[in-house]
Amino acid sequence: MTIGEFLSDRLDRLLIQVICIASAVLFLKATGTQSGILIILILALVPVLGALQLFDFFRQRIRLRELEAILEGLDQKYLFAECVPPPKSLYERRLFDLTRRAGRAMTEAVSDARAAQQEYREYVEQWVHEIKTPITAARLMCRNMESHLRRKMSFELDQVQDHVERALFYARVGSPERDCILRRIWLAEIVDQAVANHRTLLIQSGTRVETGGLECFVYTDEKWTAFILGQLLQNAARYSGKDPVIQISARPLGKQVQLTVRDNGIGIPAHELPRVFDRGFTGSNGRHRYNSTGMGLYLCKKLARFWSWDFRLPPGKARIPQ
Amino acid sequence: MPKIVIIEDDPAIREELALLLANEGFQTAAITDFTDVPKQVSASSPDLILLDLGLPGRDGMSLCARIRKNSSTPIIFITSRDCASDELRALSLGGDDYITKPYNIPVLLARIKAVLRRSGALSGSGAEPDVLEAGGLTLRLTRGTACAGDACVELTRNELKILAFLMSHAGEIISRADLIDQLWDSQIYIDDNTLSVNITRLRGKLEEIGLPGFIKTRRGMGYQL
Repeated sequence: MTIGEFLSDRLDRLLIQVICIASAVLFLKATGTQSGILIILILALVPVLGALQLFDFFRQRIRLRELEAILEGLDQKYLFAECVPPPKSLYERRLFDLTRRAGRAMTEAVSDARAAQQEYREYVEQWVHEIKTPITAARLMCRNMESHLRRKMSFELDQVQDHVERALFYARVGSPERDCILRRIWLAEIVDQAVANHRTLLIQSGTRVETGGLECFVYTDEKWTAFILGQLLQNAARYSGKDPVIQISARPLGKQVQLTVRDNGIGIPAHELPRVFDRGFTGSNGRHRYNSTGMGLYLCKKLARFWSWDFRLPPGKARIPQ
Repeated sequence: MPKIVIIEDDPAIREELALLLANEGFQTAAITDFTDVPKQVSASSPDLILLDLGLPGRDGMSLCARIRKNSSTPIIFITSRDCASDELRALSLGGDDYITKPYNIPVLLARIKAVLRRSGALSGSGAEPDVLEAGGLTLRLTRGTACAGDACVELTRNELKILAFLMSHAGEIISRADLIDQLWDSQIYIDDNTLSVNITRLRGKLEEIGLPGFIKTRRGMGYQL
């Protein structure tokens, strides 16, 4: 707040004061008061009124600065009204009460929404765990089938499982810290797990997987890393070209490990590259060849950001801190 | 023969799992009444316990703690709960391994065998044989050689796995798809063309040691020894 803003805000009051003084002076002049006395009177009144205004200006400015500092320091801004000291004047106190009540209603609405979201997330997680039991049973039963049918069924079951996994990880991606354990783990083991999870799709699409340089330890969460790798493997198998080959290799990069997943698939048009990590973005390949969901890479990027991995395309690089 | 007790409340999984383990040559016992599980478990004196987490009445975690009180039988948790905190708790309560549903069957079997081997219940008897013999050919897995009489030849990892699988099913027709499946289980991720290349090389090597036509092609069906 500048002095100019303050004065223009109080223009009406100032004008009234000036008019009052002027009419008092005219009245006193008409009733025969000497000019000298009038000048003394004006000289006494004007500085007092001016000082009062200045005092008001500085008081308000200090108060506003204090409130701004409080707001700056708050993590949850909507709790502002709960945190500031109440004002002294009656009118301001009333105003403040109103704001506070509105704020409380808002806080309640926010916490209700949070609780609802949390409940929904818990339900999704529980549902995912329940659905896994019948999937497991179906997988076990598959084993006794004639091999041609078994392969077809396994393929479908893999699809079901992939969708379920994505739903689970989507529910968790908001707060991944609640469900991760950082461990020292053999990188080849994670890669083998990711490949095993998607083997039916990979075999069916005639893909050859070549691995190299994975004989090292990394510090990461096994489950999340295998999930991210799995998304890349699925994409590679879906959007494959002729004689598909996926190369998974790693090399040390300072204190980190650079894990590279490279395929010889149909690729992504250059103009679509900047958007592949957007939620729900399905490129022209996804729309024409498969009904892609546009969720896989979005989830990968979000998770990678949580782990502060340098996760890039092209040519599809994820860096895992060692 | 190691004995495995299955504690799982879903009847379909329980039965299929028992069947799978029986086919693999294990003795199995399934618990169907969940009132006094620790007593039933100690009565059947198993070598390994497969324990589900979500059980009626009592939670699998507390059950594990109860069993651990007076027995050191290995326990593998098999559960659909894949939370990191559950896994940590299960292992700190004395679980030996933690496998999440839906599991990959070869992986499940491998991990069961690993736990049994660690506890000494699977020594020698269930371990993979090192030497395979069929039709005059001797395959030494650890050395990676195939010998017919005095003539020996060294094989690559892929060739070794292919030949080992065919020899352990000597006489049966093995489809290419089954062969690829089997190789993927052993972390050899090859495609159909690569398999053909490997088979051709393998045949060449077998011919060198005087066994031409050892691997027969059954058109439209697969390979046969």
